[in-house]
Amino acid sequence: MAFLDEIQRARREKGPREKLGRMARWEARWGYAFIALWMVGFSLWYLIPMAASLVFSLFDFELTNLSAARFVGLGNWRRLLFEDPLVWQSLRVTFTFALISLPVGMVSAFFLAVLLNSKQLIAANVFRTLFYAPAMVPAVAGVLIWSGVLDPTTGWINRLIAFVFQVDAVGPNGIRWLADPVLVYVAYTLIGLWGIGNAILYNLASLQGVPTELYEAADIDGASWWRKLTAITVPMVSPVIFYNLVLGVIGLLQFFVTPYVLTGGSGFPQGQTYYYMIHFFKQAFGFLNMGYGATIAWFMFLIALGITVLLFGTAKYWVYYAAERR
Amino acid sequence: MRKLAALLALLAVLGMATAQTQVRWFVGLGAGTDEPLFVAQRAIVDEFNASQSDVRLVLEIVDNNQAYDVLATQIAAGNAPDIVGPMGIRGGAAFPGVWLDLEPLVESTGYDLSDFDPEMVEFYRTDDGLIGLPFAVFPSYLSYNKALFDEAGLAYPPAAYGEPYVDANGVEHVWDVDKMTELALMLTVDGSGADATEPDFDINNVVQWGFGIMWRDIRGRLSLFGAGNFIDDDGNATMPDHWRTGLSWYQDAMWQQGFYPNGPYGNSALLGDGNWFDSGNLAMAQTQLWYAGCCMFSVAGKNDFDFAAMPSYEGQVTATVNADTFSITRASRNPEAAFAALSFLLSPEVAGRLNALYGGMPARLSLQDAYFDAFEERNFPGRNLNWEVVAAGLSYPDVPNHEAGLPAFREAEDRYNAFTQRLDNEPDFDLATEIDRLVAELQLIFDAARARN
Amino acid sequence: MAAAPVTRPSAAPVAVPAPAPQRGEGMMARNAVMRAAITSLVLVILLLYLMPLGYSIATSLKSKEQASDVNAPILPSAPERFEFEGRTYDVYRVPTDEGEQRWALVTPGRNSSMFVDPDDPGAGLFEWEGRWRTLTPAYRLAFQWNNYQRAYEFIDFLRLLGYTLMYAGITTVAATTSAAIVAYGFARFKFPFRNVLFIVLISTIILPPQVTLVPTYAFFFQLGWVGTWLPLIVPQFFSNAYNVFLLRQYFMTIPTAMEEAARIDGAGPIRTFVSVILPQAVPALIAVSLFHFFFAWNDFFGPLIYLAGNADINPLAVGLFRFNGLYSSEPQLIQAASILTMIIPLLVFFFAQRFFMQGIVLTGDK
Repeated sequence: MAFLDEIQRARREKGPREKLGRMARWEARWGYAFIALWMVGFSLWYLIPMAASLVFSLFDFELTNLSAARFVGLGNWRRLLFEDPLVWQSLRVTFTFALISLPVGMVSAFFLAVLLNSKQLIAANVFRTLFYAPAMVPAVAGVLIWSGVLDPTTGWINRLIAFVFQVDAVGPNGIRWLADPVLVYVAYTLIGLWGIGNAILYNLASLQGVPTELYEAADIDGASWWRKLTAITVPMVSPVIFYNLVLGVIGLLQFFVTPYVLTGGSGFPQGQTYYYMIHFFKQAFGFLNMGYGATIAWFMFLIALGITVLLFGTAKYWVYYAAERR
Repeated sequence: MRKLAALLALLAVLGMATAQTQVRWFVGLGAGTDEPLFVAQRAIVDEFNASQSDVRLVLEIVDNNQAYDVLATQIAAGNAPDIVGPMGIRGGAAFPGVWLDLEPLVESTGYDLSDFDPEMVEFYRTDDGLIGLPFAVFPSYLSYNKALFDEAGLAYPPAAYGEPYVDANGVEHVWDVDKMTELALMLTVDGSGADATEPDFDINNVVQWGFGIMWRDIRGRLSLFGAGNFIDDDGNATMPDHWRTGLSWYQDAMWQQGFYPNGPYGNSALLGDGNWFDSGNLAMAQTQLWYAGCCMFSVAGKNDFDFAAMPSYEGQVTATVNADTFSITRASRNPEAAFAALSFLLSPEVAGRLNALYGGMPARLSLQDAYFDAFEERNFPGRNLNWEVVAAGLSYPDVPNHEAGLPAFREAEDRYNAFTQRLDNEPDFDLATEIDRLVAELQLIFDAARARN
Repeated sequence: MAAAPVTRPSAAPVAVPAPAPQRGEGMMARNAVMRAAITSLVLVILLLYLMPLGYSIATSLKSKEQASDVNAPILPSAPERFEFEGRTYDVYRVPTDEGEQRWALVTPGRNSSMFVDPDDPGAGLFEWEGRWRTLTPAYRLAFQWNNYQRAYEFIDFLRLLGYTLMYAGITTVAATTSAAIVAYGFARFKFPFRNVLFIVLISTIILPPQVTLVPTYAFFFQLGWVGTWLPLIVPQFFSNAYNVFLLRQYFMTIPTAMEEAARIDGAGPIRTFVSVILPQAVPALIAVSLFHFFFAWNDFFGPLIYLAGNADINPLAVGLFRFNGLYSSEPQLIQAASILTMIIPLLVFFFAQRFFMQGIVLTGDK
């Protein structure tokens, strides 16, 4: 989360300009020398490609036959904004899923961290390790495991539900996690829960940083557990929540492995898993419309930028920064 | 670190070893992507590599569902394989303009085409030249599970085209889709043992199904009602009338009567995770010959089965045909070496073995006679299966073929597959509205494709 | 996190002190109950959380028949079979007046079927009235360890592992080394635009990489690198923003005294960096290396497009994806292959978790 604070801080401070002395020039030269590697990399892998991507979006071309590239002006952009229903469908899918999966993931990570931070918990370190372990499972393997455990007939989830609630959940007509247009979001959210290991640990680190005096003072007041949670804990870890939120939204715009492994990008069921990134992949690398692919990617960048600016704008109303650290 | 260095050294050595001309053989757009075939295909590659030292053949098998994306990426990246095959009609149609004209190579090497079925050679002579050498045809036929017919006390379907269906009481009936539907209902059974004709049949608890067609897109499935395509002579999107009838039949079969596996059942363990007939829980399946080569070993071990004639619809039989070819890509860096490897793969001896492997009827005339005996010997020894009816299916081909090309093929295909997916998975799919929508959206895709060219 | 007076209105109000909590026997007992309660709660959640792993392991040890048999037990088992007059028949659990019997079904029929009793085959066939489909097949425990061997061979595990290790190994060294160099520049030297550049650097962390993908892909294509590992490896030599950020944070916590001493001894910045900074930053370097190692192990999209379907040189993630396509009707092999691909990252994690957790805390630390 800390690097987001840096951005926040930089917005507030402007360093003084001074003329450089001999020593300072020496230092500056060495500084540039050390960061030169990154500056080259930044130009090569970010600056130039970003600009090129924008230029590409004005063309219709195939890589193997560049001489046949055709300038289409804003044609790709017009197609994206007005003529391609799949763009808006995939954005709806992406944001619907984000609205379900992000809160669930963030709240789960937070409460797991609270539990793992509990002084009453025996063998807390063992638990922490085990809760983190699924985050180490390679994504493709994780998705395949979940697709098995969610199988309506042979998976364990339906069997467990049938056993606990004594309902008829098993079988091809049981609970069809990956085939029901609504439940599929629940299923994908569940799969996503195996990826919250980092979020749990960030929350945990942040919880351990909350000064104990605050709780002691609240205890003296006779504050309830819930009151302490909402009045002390949540505000104190709000930077982590902010961090998880920003990275979560950006990450979901790029959500790809789970739907691609499960459906091959078919959007099953009913186009409900046709995510924005799937559309990008299909157009650019499936149908080889590279120019249109670049357009889709640039639009993704604009959306990500918009959301980030929006989130940073709201941050000052709800993210607590420990009293300006200097 | 030392290990890393050793690994790098190893990779370098591997790099040196590939100094021979490398020819990549891509398997994925036709037969050959099923697990039982992998080892045998590798053996043939090893044999070729051992037979000479100039060319190193490298085999690449990609699952049919992923193969189109993978090949597209390879072509886009200028990393196209040299040989693609066996490749179905759909594969060729999906990648127009990608295939090398083999005519010059045939001439310069003096390759003898006279042993190939001339009609099939002509089939691959297009505006782009000779885009492939014929390899095999896969007629379709009705596979039926004798054990399930016995259990229901039903007589088997007709063993030859033109014969009637003779029921258990000796009464003759016309063998058509309606009669087959009747049998299918009686062969559909729920978990408590009631069949689909009984009033207490529970459609939500089916454990055995009457009829199904696996692994074929909707155009192939609809060809049961006669051949057709989504495009008319003027290049406009359309849904032929007999296919509209067919679509309602499928919707009823899956969601009202229950004898055809719908999406949920079809992907479940009850039906072998997609390999329906092999699960032993499907009584009748329309299958192409490749199915016998790849995918029915588990049912063969459990149950007795045989092959029968496809039923007619409005007096006409349509038995869909797949045809596989071997092609060389235009982007191939070594067309001569690729052609040498291709000649090896299609030589009478090796092609014969590949045919036996994939289950394709050989395009080589000299191989056709002995073919079915060898195929049965290899896959189902001692079964005495009805191969006559299989071969006879070739007299009832679907024209136009169900894998024929469409403008912007891959996008159009994506679109109609999405339609099928919903038909198979939604009990209250609004067929009439969705057909209109499908036609309208295909029209948009066709128009866009025309504008691009 | 810095301890600071809470200034926000929503924070806990501090008011009149309440009576001090009671201490004594009752308190201790209550504490023990709380401990048991919380620990069991966490344990239950953990078991649910790890349940898919249990499913995967159990399925990976099943036979193909069992994995796709709806009525099969949860644990790996084999259907009970009985050989009778040269043919093999399935054994079912048949309810009778004398309790449940295990009989082999010989001739199934719709409403009555012929069975044989495996314990008394001499008695021959007998008829049982009822629908055999309502019966449950009999099973006994059996583990198919050779699923792992088959998955290992079919997925070409060693080759994929080799490429995955090569990719993870090279890029981990490259990414960590280059990041350390750049981080040192940002941590210890003052130069014009340092803050602006640093903000640009960390902004790239949240930039969706797809926006640069098409031109980058085109660039590598022109170089003839698509279809090789180079497009995935080379950029890692130019440092990665996230790693730079982490290491810079750590470097800034290292006291400057030793560096100054080194400088007085005449050491230049490079020697200072190598002999003073790096040795003190070992834990952070290990953490960053681990992060990168896991990232590389997991990378799917990059290899998917840049290796351009070149199956010969796939890493495990892509290989597993392809395997899943080819073996879709063999769920037990897919689970076995999934388990195989996770063994190494899990082992590394369990052995290096101390460094790993420290690294995470470093990320969270301000």
